[in-house]
Amino acid sequence: MFSAMIDPTAGPANRVRATVLAVRKPDLAGSKVGLLANVKRNAEQFLDEVGALLGQEHGAEVVLRRKKLSITDSVPPDMLADLVAACDVVVVGVGDCGSCSASAVADGLALENAGIPAVVVCSDAFGVTADAMAALQGSPGYRYVQIAHPVAPLGPDELRQRAVAALPEIVATLTAGNVRAAA
Amino acid sequence: MTRAEASADVTAAEDLQDDQAALEYARAAIEHAYDKGWTDGLPVVPVTRPMVEEFLAQTSRPADEVIAAVPHLGRECTVEQAAVNAALAGCRPEYFPVVLAAWEALGRDRAVTGGGWQSTSGPAPFIVVNGPIRHRLGINCTGGVLGPGYRANATIARAIGLVVRNVFGIRPQELEQATQGVPGRWTLCIGENEEDSPWEPLATEVGLPAGTDAVCATLLRTCEFVDNRNTLNPEELLADFADTISRTGAAIVPFSSAGLVLGVEHAELLAANGFAKSDVQQWLYERCVRSHEDLARVGKSLDGRISSGVDEYGLHMLPSPEQLLIVVAGARNAAMSMVVRPFGFAGWSRSAVPVQAA
Repeated sequence: MFSAMIDPTAGPANRVRATVLAVRKPDLAGSKVGLLANVKRNAEQFLDEVGALLGQEHGAEVVLRRKKLSITDSVPPDMLADLVAACDVVVVGVGDCGSCSASAVADGLALENAGIPAVVVCSDAFGVTADAMAALQGSPGYRYVQIAHPVAPLGPDELRQRAVAALPEIVATLTAGNVRAAA
Repeated sequence: MTRAEASADVTAAEDLQDDQAALEYARAAIEHAYDKGWTDGLPVVPVTRPMVEEFLAQTSRPADEVIAAVPHLGRECTVEQAAVNAALAGCRPEYFPVVLAAWEALGRDRAVTGGGWQSTSGPAPFIVVNGPIRHRLGINCTGGVLGPGYRANATIARAIGLVVRNVFGIRPQELEQATQGVPGRWTLCIGENEEDSPWEPLATEVGLPAGTDAVCATLLRTCEFVDNRNTLNPEELLADFADTISRTGAAIVPFSSAGLVLGVEHAELLAANGFAKSDVQQWLYERCVRSHEDLARVGKSLDGRISSGVDEYGLHMLPSPEQLLIVVAGARNAAMSMVVRPFGFAGWSRSAVPVQAA
């Protein structure tokens, strides 16, 4: 039955190769940290809180802050090159919309491809999109860090609390503590 | 009953049975498409190889040429995949060049080539067709232009949506994260009512020779009606548009955008009072500014944020005068128009793509 019906989803095979995660160090002491924010409200502030905590508690130092002006596009090549050149690890975020959570995961994988350990922070309302995105990029189960949704309306204290709560997982993802989930 | 009559009765009954079986098979094929997840919720047309060839015969472009992509997903759509989904959507083969032009026009929209199809806003592709092809294909541009009832309008727009679903794999509640989505998301293909418009068609305004078959496209977040059968004063009418354009809910601080699908009577009133399209754009650009106080009152304070549209007076609801998209469509039977809301923060591409016949 229906063998003559054309499958509208069929097409040239996707040219996706699985991303091999960058090599991690056992800890972040002395690591140069990059922060890759998007224009979502509170994204930069959240990453700054994370950066401060990485400095205070793990001996790392924020050396580069970059902001993607497009919510939906992947990180521009020159910005990616800057981050790769200057940083040992990068924190990406905050994915708190449908398209920006997807592009944040793509950015994380782009950094991994370039040999830089990266952690992507998404709000937990967009886990499905982030998961689908990681699967599409050939890395199902790619580990990203979820923080409670929503992020945009939070004040400074609440933002700091989110950062404190997420810190252990962020550190684990950026160090040898990271074990990639089974595909 | 003669023997001949009895025999005719038997034949008719057999024909009816055959016909019924064929229709049952067609129904099962449609169910099969549902089971496979190929539809947007409405029934689709089962597509066969010969049908695809009929569509491909309408274009000189190679079947394996890539006509659209979502780079961050690593997904591409070829001419052939677009043809399959146009057939699936219910297009006639001769609509296919318009579908291809619509894809090219959408590809010029930064929001589309970014993650727009996955956006929480669930934006709708808005496809505007100019030129004589509107009449050849039966693309509605007059009464009920934004509504149902016209195969070309309905299926050309749907052909876009089925590619997003089937080729890009962007489905609701998965890669597509629309919070609510836009009513009529895959139905917004219109012809411009060039015959009743006092101004040059949209495709001409953005640079193509008059009379060119062409498509302009962008993504929309909504349409909002402005019913004003009350005034013959052009500035009062424009002020009515300005009120809707400037509503705070549409401000994604520090960005906003708007366009107008002008009803014929509104367009005529403005033109009769000496307003060219560019005058309408300039008038509204200057006056559609929402104050810092008003934005703060609804919790959207700009907080010192910078963008090209923010100054001491507040937020300019239009990124620039020419970014106000103006198209004239609908019947000349009442003075009403639609404010539309392009999705892209940077505005629309302001370019038109010629429709290429085979």
